[in-house]
Amino acid sequence: MLLVEDDAPTRGRLRDALADIGEFEVTTAATLREARAALEDIRPQVLLTDLQLPDGHGMDLIRQARRDCPNTEIMVISILGDEESVISAITAGATGYLLKDAFPTDIAATVRELVAGHSPISASIARFIVRRTQGTAERPSLPPLNTAKLTPREIDILWGIAKGFSYAEIAGHLGLSRQTVPGHIKSIYRKLEVNTRGEAVFEALQQGLIRL
Amino acid sequence: MTGAAASMISSPALGWRNRLGFYLLAQALIVVACILMLRQPLPEPSASYQISEAILGEEGAQRPVRLPYHLTSRVTSGNPPVFTLSFDRPANETDHAWSILLPRFISGVEVAVNGTVILDSRLHPAANRADRNSPEIAVIPELLLRGGANMLTVRLHAWGPLTGFLDRVFVGPDEALRPAYERRALLFLTLPVVFSAWQAILAVLLGVMWLKRRHEPTYGVLAAAMAIGVLQAFVSAPVGQSDYAGLNAMLIASAPLEAACVLIFIIAFLRLERPRYFWIAFIPGLVIAAAGLAGNAALVRQAYLVLGPPTVFLSLSIICILVARAAVVRGDGVAMLLGCAVTIVMTFLFHDLLSVFGIVIERPILVSRLSYSALLVAIGIGLTWRFATALNEVDSFAGRMVTLVREAEDKLRASLALEEERARAAALASERNRLTRDLHDGLGGQLVSIVALSERGAWEGARIGEAARAALKDLRLVIDAMDDIDGDLMLALGTWRERTAAQLRPHGLALDWHVLVPEGMPVHPELRPWHVIQILRLLDEGVTNSVKHAGATRIKVRIETIGETAGDQRGRITVEDDGQGFVLCDQGHRATDAPNTARGLANMHKRAARCGAQLEITSGPGGTRVRLDLPRSFPNVELASG
Repeated sequence: MLLVEDDAPTRGRLRDALADIGEFEVTTAATLREARAALEDIRPQVLLTDLQLPDGHGMDLIRQARRDCPNTEIMVISILGDEESVISAITAGATGYLLKDAFPTDIAATVRELVAGHSPISASIARFIVRRTQGTAERPSLPPLNTAKLTPREIDILWGIAKGFSYAEIAGHLGLSRQTVPGHIKSIYRKLEVNTRGEAVFEALQQGLIRL
Repeated sequence: MTGAAASMISSPALGWRNRLGFYLLAQALIVVACILMLRQPLPEPSASYQISEAILGEEGAQRPVRLPYHLTSRVTSGNPPVFTLSFDRPANETDHAWSILLPRFISGVEVAVNGTVILDSRLHPAANRADRNSPEIAVIPELLLRGGANMLTVRLHAWGPLTGFLDRVFVGPDEALRPAYERRALLFLTLPVVFSAWQAILAVLLGVMWLKRRHEPTYGVLAAAMAIGVLQAFVSAPVGQSDYAGLNAMLIASAPLEAACVLIFIIAFLRLERPRYFWIAFIPGLVIAAAGLAGNAALVRQAYLVLGPPTVFLSLSIICILVARAAVVRGDGVAMLLGCAVTIVMTFLFHDLLSVFGIVIERPILVSRLSYSALLVAIGIGLTWRFATALNEVDSFAGRMVTLVREAEDKLRASLALEEERARAAALASERNRLTRDLHDGLGGQLVSIVALSERGAWEGARIGEAARAALKDLRLVIDAMDDIDGDLMLALGTWRERTAAQLRPHGLALDWHVLVPEGMPVHPELRPWHVIQILRLLDEGVTNSVKHAGATRIKVRIETIGETAGDQRGRITVEDDGQGFVLCDQGHRATDAPNTARGLANMHKRAARCGAQLEITSGPGGTRVRLDLPRSFPNVELASG
């Protein structure tokens, strides 16, 4: 596992939380350059990265990981779990996010779930995605999102999450098995990913992450 | 000339005296021109073919007369006078067709050569109109002609209102007579048809104008006048058939009626006030028509002679005075033009009256009807002129309006933009105030306590962590509340659930979440971020109380919709714990000495009151229950928190 975080105390805290479960061998990096090298080196099973790095943007790292190590699960570390950073990461290929101040047990649980193929999704992120499918005007500062590929069932699931229902409740309402819901969510993440490099550059331009 | 006259006349520099002088001079010139025109000889074949000697057989008596000859009677009965003339035809001219030309007669002729009738003008409708000056020509069948002397008899039928008249007769080779006939036919037959067509077009145009502008009867009156004129020109009944006597009478009455209509039109056209008794002008025409309908031909003639020409003359005179006054006093160019036309008609009418009454004029060539065309042309020009002027006025008016509207629009747009800018600034300011307050309320306090704790030493680490976590939680709350949730509180509660569950987990507390209806709670379009913040903070405080003070192991949140009917439905959120509870004093405050809890409860009540929600807190040994009933409609402004 590769953990990329520039703030030393936070990095230490996260590393401890992850190391405690004993399942992962945690490599840490503080800068984009270090992280790239480590990515090449160890080809981690899980990449956990902050977005704001001193020498670049975590988005670039995520793209590189998606390109070079397709089997790596990617998670972003976010201070607030706000839509802007999380959705950007999703379009780049991340399938989950972690709050910086989460309790150590929660951190471990989230990563374990991710590895098990369960992408976590918050109510506000679900709400944001559903809004996009409805074509509602959103705050222009937020990244554009292609929601055309989502199925009605997936949108229903997102609605349930946005309204605070548990996976079991959603499964009950929609007549699904509880176990299939996380799979649907992972599929939603994958569909929202911007696949080609051209698209990615375009998106990045749109977001103002790259300036020409 | 008229254009120059119009511009001179309308020049304001000229006083009315000058204009009067100019007007009179112009009219005098026109009269002179008309007289000169009338003195022009009409086309006639060579005099060598003319026959002016005749024997007139009248009421049994025979006497030699010279043509042209005026009968004394206006009407001839069953036995009309017969003119017997003779002409020689050279025997060697048999290869040329010979014709007889009658340039002018009143009112009908029946011509026989050597006893055989070859021409009866009464069969030609146009020729029956004495006012048309119709010539007649007829080729003499070769078989009837004898070499040398031939006999020609002309039976002259006369009917009112004119006296019988026969001009000189021409007999000769057809090619020698035909050109003169054609030229007369052009003048007296074709030209009137052209003018009548013009009149018909005017009638249609004015009729349409009147149909679209009913409030301007002017056009209707003139259209009627034109229609009468056209009818008079084209409808003609054969003479002597009693079935058509009434129609004939109507046609005879048309001239005075038309004159009256034109008079009324001119009054309206010059924008003069219409006299109260204007309908008097129509009486003579109507009397003649009534006489005609009564059927007595003699009576019609009598009535026409007494009423017809005087009415026409009088109407024309009034028109003449009115247009002259308008031209002189107002300097109206169109009136000037009309005045010239009226003068022409008057001059020719005067000439015709002299002819009819046998004074001065040798040959009764009637030209007033033809000259009436001058008035028609003038009216046409006048109407078009006025129409074009009105269009120009409309154009310039429209242009002015467009400019005005554009200016008004620009001003409006500017003020709207200003207003919008102001509203946006106000909204922004109020949002900033709210955000500042929200951050200050939560985050500010927590950061201050973090600073305080950090200064005390390392052993306060756990409390620093707690305070920092609370600060982050509050930051997320503020950010979440600003998100647009379209009035669906469920969306805000969904996020809150996640946060609260994460917050409770380290304390070993479980969060039971029950949404009793799948749709959640009613949607409130009026829901604003500040409502959301108040409600979420209220719930936070409820949960915090349970965690900190109640010693609970489970916290249960129930979301439901209460009320039966659609208009009565409200959301209800209940937070219950299984802790030991606390005792509430009378004021709803906890009676213990824990001031934090007391303040927390007061805050919760305050927040509920601000949103218009009802809060009920019950506590006992079995646990504490916080029940929040949302209002049917959230208030626009914060309500007094009591």
